[in-house]
Amino acid sequence: MEIQPTDSTLENMSNDVAPKRLKLRSKPSRTADKVFFAVAKAAGYSSFVLVAAILFFLMLRAWPAFESQGVVNFIFGAGWNSTTDPQIFHLGPMLYGSLLIAAIGVALAVPMAISISYFISFIAPERLAKVATVVVDLLAAIPSIVIGLWGLGVFSPVAAEWGRMLSEALGFIPIFSNAVDIFLRSPFIASLVIAVMIVPIIASITREIFSQMDQEIIKGAMALGGTRESIFRKVILPTASGGIVGGVLLALGRAMGETVAIFFVLNLTFDDFNWFKILEPSGGAVASLVLARFNEALDTELSALLAAGVVLFVVTLIVNTIASYIVAKAQPWRKL
Amino acid sequence: MTDTLAQPRPKNAAPWEKLGSRVRFASWITSLVPAAIFVAAWLGLQLDFMAALLTIFLPIQLAFGAWAGFYSYGRKGVNDGLLMVVTFFFSTFVLVLLASVIWSVISEGAAALSPHFIYQNNRYITGTTGLEIGGAGHAILGSVIITGITTVITVPLAIATAVYLTETRDGARGVVRTLLQALAGLPSVVAGLFIYSMLIVSGWSSQVGVMASLSLIPLMLPTISRVAEESLRLVPSELRNGALALGAPSYKAFFMVTLPAAKSGIVTAVLLGVARIIGETAPLILTAVIANETNANPLAGGMATLPTYIYNFLYLGDATSLQRAWGAALVLLIFVGILFVGARVASATRVGSKPKRRKK
Repeated sequence: MEIQPTDSTLENMSNDVAPKRLKLRSKPSRTADKVFFAVAKAAGYSSFVLVAAILFFLMLRAWPAFESQGVVNFIFGAGWNSTTDPQIFHLGPMLYGSLLIAAIGVALAVPMAISISYFISFIAPERLAKVATVVVDLLAAIPSIVIGLWGLGVFSPVAAEWGRMLSEALGFIPIFSNAVDIFLRSPFIASLVIAVMIVPIIASITREIFSQMDQEIIKGAMALGGTRESIFRKVILPTASGGIVGGVLLALGRAMGETVAIFFVLNLTFDDFNWFKILEPSGGAVASLVLARFNEALDTELSALLAAGVVLFVVTLIVNTIASYIVAKAQPWRKL
Repeated sequence: MTDTLAQPRPKNAAPWEKLGSRVRFASWITSLVPAAIFVAAWLGLQLDFMAALLTIFLPIQLAFGAWAGFYSYGRKGVNDGLLMVVTFFFSTFVLVLLASVIWSVISEGAAALSPHFIYQNNRYITGTTGLEIGGAGHAILGSVIITGITTVITVPLAIATAVYLTETRDGARGVVRTLLQALAGLPSVVAGLFIYSMLIVSGWSSQVGVMASLSLIPLMLPTISRVAEESLRLVPSELRNGALALGAPSYKAFFMVTLPAAKSGIVTAVLLGVARIIGETAPLILTAVIANETNANPLAGGMATLPTYIYNFLYLGDATSLQRAWGAALVLLIFVGILFVGARVASATRVGSKPKRRKK
């Protein structure tokens, strides 16, 4: 079975072989194109290199600390002291403090963020909604050091007063009890500052998802006799829940990695866990620990700080991967 | 044959009836009366504002909201009223908190700002020196230099990554996208520790400006590439295919057709990326010495930036130090505001036609 080349383009080919079947999606043939795609590919693969380099170099320098302290002890033990012999570098209270502050901050931020995005997307008149959208997005761009400055200079005294009132009114509940009568620099204040920082982040994601929601579902629910509240509870929230959860997890990642915003409003206690007494001035945060100890740290302690960085990186990596998976699942119209 | 109807229409049902006046009346009552009671209780009983807000205003407001819903729409309106009250209360609370951030920066910062604050440096300044001398000039210069170097390195890399993600059909794109998302969540202090452990501990360099620039790259890269990817994807594939069908090689099709069409989106991406890193503090503290003098050389000597300047004076903690920090915060916020407005303007004039999404 021989195919005679009839097309003019095929005449150049040698006649004694059957013409090669061309693929529809051919590879770039020109040198310039090859360079173009090679550069793009190299740039794409550079993020592999970057992530690998971050993990490799941090692990390389952090290894002595992991080795001398033991991985499990380093992560879960308590105590951080470079003057004892042997030196103790255990991250437990800091890691727990980070999680606690981030969790309380997110718990405070979520209702506010959902309220304001519901307000923007479904209640406010269009002009007000536009202004509020711009304001929320702008606030998501405020540097965290400015939030930290506000937290220290303006908010801390006010929030300490709130803490005092809380403990006076509800002090019989162990969470709100305070034995030392100092209310500044507590995990409570740090979580409030974190909440102020992440509300715009959650709100902008939630608002985006609300605004892209299929209006037919809502109109249909309305036509079936749904009220505002029942539509919100049974239609809007279930439809948007995936996106909201993802946004919350992204914010959780930001909250755990936050450094300067809570560095000045939190008192670090290395030696024991502050499990739940959120109004007392002792807490922990991994990133703040790095900042607090970095300048005085010598070899071994430096290695321990880098190890703390590794732990922080891995924890936020896990949270963020889950978050971006959920966000992508929740927005099927953003096809990848 | 009336019995074929499942249910006769109730006698008093009147779906055509206008509810406007009832709703308006109920909303006026609901918004005014609890506020009046609250103000009276707050001033009359000398209560703390926050305590009064939560223990007096909120319950009364909720009760009135429920009543208004009931009065306007009957029993099924009660939850509506409650939902409205909760939404308005939380929204206002958030907006007040956020407005307080902006307002305190503007009011406190304006007090510290003066012509010499913009150009003088920090030499001979201690925590308690008066505001007559000294300023953040060296920090502004440092911010511009460090951010500039990072931008020059990262922008081509990030745009090429976006090209990789949109224009090629490589198999590893999904993984790269995931990695970029992971980098987007990288704690900034870890980025600083990374450069510190790679280049500074090993003795290749001391803590100079260019190290700070390098540490900002992993933070800026995901921001730019994500937004740039989004805007490249919005360019209709007809444009691209048309150029290719006319015989243009892929690189020309990209540079002469796709890139111009996505130009505004890419400008937005760059501006958002700069806004992301200009306020970063923690990596700069770890990688560059906070200098007190003007230094334009990123390869030698320490360098201060606006965030580290604020950090430094926050650390000192005296009254005048705090004022200097507020002043620098105002300058920083102005920078961020300009970048943000620029990004909004650039994205408003987007060429690539967005697939129309139904809006309310």
